[in-house]
Amino acid sequence: MKTHSSGFHPSVLILYAKKLILDPIHSFGRYSQLLFRAFGAVPEFGTYRKNLWEQMIHVGIDSMPIVMLAAAFSGAVTTVQTSYQLVSPLIPKSIIGSIVVPSMVLELGAVVTGFILAGRVGARIAAELGTMRVTEQIDAIEAMGLNSIGYLIVPRVIAGIVMFPVLYIAACFVGIGGGMLVGHIGGFVSIGEFVDGAREYFQPFDPIFGMIKCLVFGFIITSVSCFKGYYTRGGAEGVGKATTEAAVASCVFLLLADLVLAATLL
Amino acid sequence: MISVQNLHKSFRDKVVLQGIDLEILEGETLAIIGRSGSGKSVLMKHIIGLLQPDSGRVTVDGVDINAISYADLRRIRQNFGVLFQGGALFDSMSSFDNVAFPLRTFTSMTETEINRVVMECLEMVELPGVQTKMPSELSGGMQKRVALARAVALKPRYILYDEPTSGLDPETSTTIDELIQSLSDQLNVTSIVVTHDMHSVLNIADKAAFVHEGKMHWAGTIAELHESDDQILRRFVKANEYLIGK
Amino acid sequence: MNISNELKVGLTIITAAVIFILGVRYFQDLPLFATTYELTAEFKDAGGLIPGNLVRVHGVSVGSVETVNISQESGKVDVTFHIDRKIIVTEGSYASVSGIDALGAVRMDLYLGPLDAAVIPEGGRIGVGEGNDLFGDLTARAPDMIEKFSEVLNGLDIVVSETGTLLSEPESDFRKTLASVKGSMAQLESLLTSERTRLSSILLNVEDATGSLKTLTAENGPAVSKLITDLSATLTTLDVELESLGEASRSLNELLAKVNSGQGTLGMLVNDPSMYNKMDSTLDGINALLADFKASPGKYLGEMKLVDLF
Ligand SMILES: Nc1ncnc2c1ncn2[C@@H]1O[C@H](COP(=O)(O)OP(=O)(O)OP(=O)(O)O)[C@@H](O)[C@H]1O
Ligand SMILES: [Mg+2]
Repeated sequence: MKTHSSGFHPSVLILYAKKLILDPIHSFGRYSQLLFRAFGAVPEFGTYRKNLWEQMIHVGIDSMPIVMLAAAFSGAVTTVQTSYQLVSPLIPKSIIGSIVVPSMVLELGAVVTGFILAGRVGARIAAELGTMRVTEQIDAIEAMGLNSIGYLIVPRVIAGIVMFPVLYIAACFVGIGGGMLVGHIGGFVSIGEFVDGAREYFQPFDPIFGMIKCLVFGFIITSVSCFKGYYTRGGAEGVGKATTEAAVASCVFLLLADLVLAATLL
Repeated sequence: MISVQNLHKSFRDKVVLQGIDLEILEGETLAIIGRSGSGKSVLMKHIIGLLQPDSGRVTVDGVDINAISYADLRRIRQNFGVLFQGGALFDSMSSFDNVAFPLRTFTSMTETEINRVVMECLEMVELPGVQTKMPSELSGGMQKRVALARAVALKPRYILYDEPTSGLDPETSTTIDELIQSLSDQLNVTSIVVTHDMHSVLNIADKAAFVHEGKMHWAGTIAELHESDDQILRRFVKANEYLIGK
Repeated sequence: MNISNELKVGLTIITAAVIFILGVRYFQDLPLFATTYELTAEFKDAGGLIPGNLVRVHGVSVGSVETVNISQESGKVDVTFHIDRKIIVTEGSYASVSGIDALGAVRMDLYLGPLDAAVIPEGGRIGVGEGNDLFGDLTARAPDMIEKFSEVLNGLDIVVSETGTLLSEPESDFRKTLASVKGSMAQLESLLTSERTRLSSILLNVEDATGSLKTLTAENGPAVSKLITDLSATLTTLDVELESLGEASRSLNELLAKVNSGQGTLGMLVNDPSMYNKMDSTLDGINALLADFKASPGKYLGEMKLVDLF
């Protein structure tokens, strides 16, 4: 049998197969192992309690302003766009409220917060842990007899799981408020009509679904970033690479989870 | 007692250690010498289980640290104080908090007691008054000394020093040597000092071990070191101007 | 740092939780602070009701639907809902599902029982009443009415033809009088024959129209709602008219039955002035009605024109 022209050697195929299939599986295995060890460290709450509060401040409270800003704008833009697309006089204005509120509660609130946290918190976590890794600070923690995973990763993941819903609530609050306000100021829909519309179609499961999303997103962003940071190698360049990868991987897995949750729970 | 038996370690295809044997008795101070890149730091990390050997054993008080659970390993590690080559200070904490960290984590001392111990430790390394400074605000040598203060704060049974005096002026180096010696004498600490500085070796060590090409090329007491006629060892020692001056 | 991290985090989480709970209650249209009261109603058909739909009393929102489940035992639909505690629900209260399912605007109306009756306790069950999903009603009613209409018209047919046979017997002196009856009947017959097809087709249109309305309403809101109410009113009017037609035909039938039977020879009929009068007035009534219908079908069908909109 004749082989194809240059560059298409069986070994290339094997290389691709390794890159596309084996490497992700390998990474996923290491990720699961890290999570497994992190769960094992949960009972040692005492040693990282103080860390937990600090991480909650970093993940949650420090992210509050930018999350609220982005949410306010997405709520406002959704209102303006919805009213722009509603041309028929037969459709009541209140429909704007019944579109903006579920959009915010079901999707925008969580996803906008998620993207901001992936960029802000994910990158921060990866850079922090990556630097600690390359400057032997993680080794120093281990050498003292502390569980570095328990000490570094668990508080960050817990902070993500706890604070993401808090940010989401803030995002929804500000986003819906922003939508209402812009609708009112811009003369698209009065606040009363907006609220009527929102109430007409409001389903109690919507915010519950949003909350479930938040728990999952909070977990994904922090755990993926911790994974990237914790296993950083190769100096400053390695830290930079880990930081980028953490932000990108967080966003990708967040979108995947979004789809999976929507498909299974809605 | 720490003992290392027939330790092998490679990183990918780079062979670093190929059959290291070592024994440190209770209360002894061992100096590990060797050229840069010979694997001294790698050897040190094996002793506290931060790296797993490809083959061979590391035992601490007769326990093989690679055959026990992680929880047990961590219990053993709590007997160790480690000074890393780069200091490895937590850069998110002030110098004070760095030194106080092991005290806060592993003891139930009150803040006043902690404050007293931390100040004491910082004075020992001749750095009173840096407690509020962040590691990034300190010079390399100062960082190293704060890290040393952190390593000894708990008065551990074993202390591993990775180049404690490199980058320090001769006067401070002497102070650090004296500190290492007094810890060893007064608290019966078992110490392993990785160093290039023959001056330190002669001052503080009871024994020396020379790592060369991944093997324990030579080991013996300081007296034997002076008399050894091993060519490679002589060349290494001669390169230190102090001995040349002798 | 005078505020500890714990305090900051704790305050933030508590604030968020409060906003969440109040926000959900706000959009569920529950009172923000007052407690609520849970009740269950068992419907045969929930008519598209979903959790979150409003519960109203006299058109005022007082709460919302919590769950809608098909009961395992009864096979009916259990609807649990919360209402404001200030609303006193007594025995004799009932709920009904209303609104337009196709528009997604379904709600539950609560009709309160007498104030002096016993109060239904928390978690209790209340009865259900007829709902008024206008679309559903209209579609359900149209074929019914067509059937009724044909029935009446058929009945009239028989009456008219029987009267015709009866009158053609050259036995009586009263042929003259009865000739006028015959005239009326002939008129009635021809009229009904023509109107019958027309009315049927109109009613069929109504049915069609409601079908297409269902699809249309996805785009148009309250305008359609009003239209449906109008249509419904028209059907009610038609219903009433049919009722009187039926009445007329029944009296005529009775009369003819008497005429046909032994006691009711034509002589007797003529000798009995009350009978005569009765028959006369009946026929007059039918005449008037039909004349009216013929002269201005618009009066009955005017509102039907709305159907042409679609
Ligand atoms: N994590 C690692 N991955 C790959 N190679 C490593 C790793 N750690 C150490 N090495 C290699 O092992 C060799 C020994 O390194 P080590 O740090 O032990 O040297 P050293 O004797 O401490 O030198 P120095 O006196 O300069 O500190 C070096 O060649 C280094 O490249
Ligand atoms: Mg080294």
